[in-house]
Amino acid sequence: MHVSTRNVKSLCRKQGLNLNQVLDETGVSRNAYYTIARKACVLPKSIVAIADRLGVSPLDILEDPGSPNQRATRLIGEVNKVKSHYPEVDEENVRHTLLLLREKPIDRLRRALTHAQKPDIH
Amino acid sequence: MRRNQIFTEREASFLRELLREKVDFMIVGLSAAALQGAPVVTQDIDLWFRDLCTPGIRRALRRVGGSYIPPTAMTPPMFEGDGVNLFDIVVHMHGLAAFEKEKANVLQVPLGRFKVPVLSLSRIIESKKATNREKDRLVMKVLTDSLRSQSALRKTPCKAARRPAPTGRGASPRRPRP
Repeated sequence: MHVSTRNVKSLCRKQGLNLNQVLDETGVSRNAYYTIARKACVLPKSIVAIADRLGVSPLDILEDPGSPNQRATRLIGEVNKVKSHYPEVDEENVRHTLLLLREKPIDRLRRALTHAQKPDIH
Repeated sequence: MRRNQIFTEREASFLRELLREKVDFMIVGLSAAALQGAPVVTQDIDLWFRDLCTPGIRRALRRVGGSYIPPTAMTPPMFEGDGVNLFDIVVHMHGLAAFEKEKANVLQVPLGRFKVPVLSLSRIIESKKATNREKDRLVMKVLTDSLRSQSALRKTPCKAARRPAPTGRGASPRRPRP
């Protein structure tokens, strides 16, 4: 699993950008980029080993959280699904629940306790 | 106002000690609902014990520097100490079956490196319905919507969110989810 510099350049061209622009905007140095590009595998050895043991590609055990837009779209889809099952639910309650379910239980608890201490939060 | 109410290692260590002592307890109330994703706020963590006289509770308290204050005619039983101020003792859950029966409705929720017994959201809702204080009524819609959200995404019908489950004497405990 390596970086395809050809693909990167091709994508840059399609979007009317050059590589230097992209590196500048993302704060990635040319040195860092070419160091990564030279690597035969950019994934940690542990991930490759687990995938090998399971007989799958490393891509099969990775999950892409998606861009903020994709995450928001997914959330809206889930809210709509809930609404289709239970039309009477309040969308805000559903949205907040779904967002909280993406956090660890301990963080949900801390959030509930922290907000209870702030009288300006309703 | 209590200080340092955010759940820290001190509070976690009390729960861990209770588990180590094999004390029969479960987290109930809005903190239990929050642990299950309900968007609610709460000031304390309610712990429902099968038997408050269990020696393990005192031992767990001692290890975290807390103490037990027995009930009086005017006050309920309480925990005292920096590491346990956040916890409230629950001696009775309105609208629910006995502790032993409600254990069938407990989920094991990971809290850092250990799991704690937490009463299921559907049973918390039943208890809130039975208690029916103003503050319970205010939070009911949020709890029900939260339960429905989770139910809809699991693609299973949510009977508990539609109609009240049997409560009190003779109530049959719901089977735990597989």
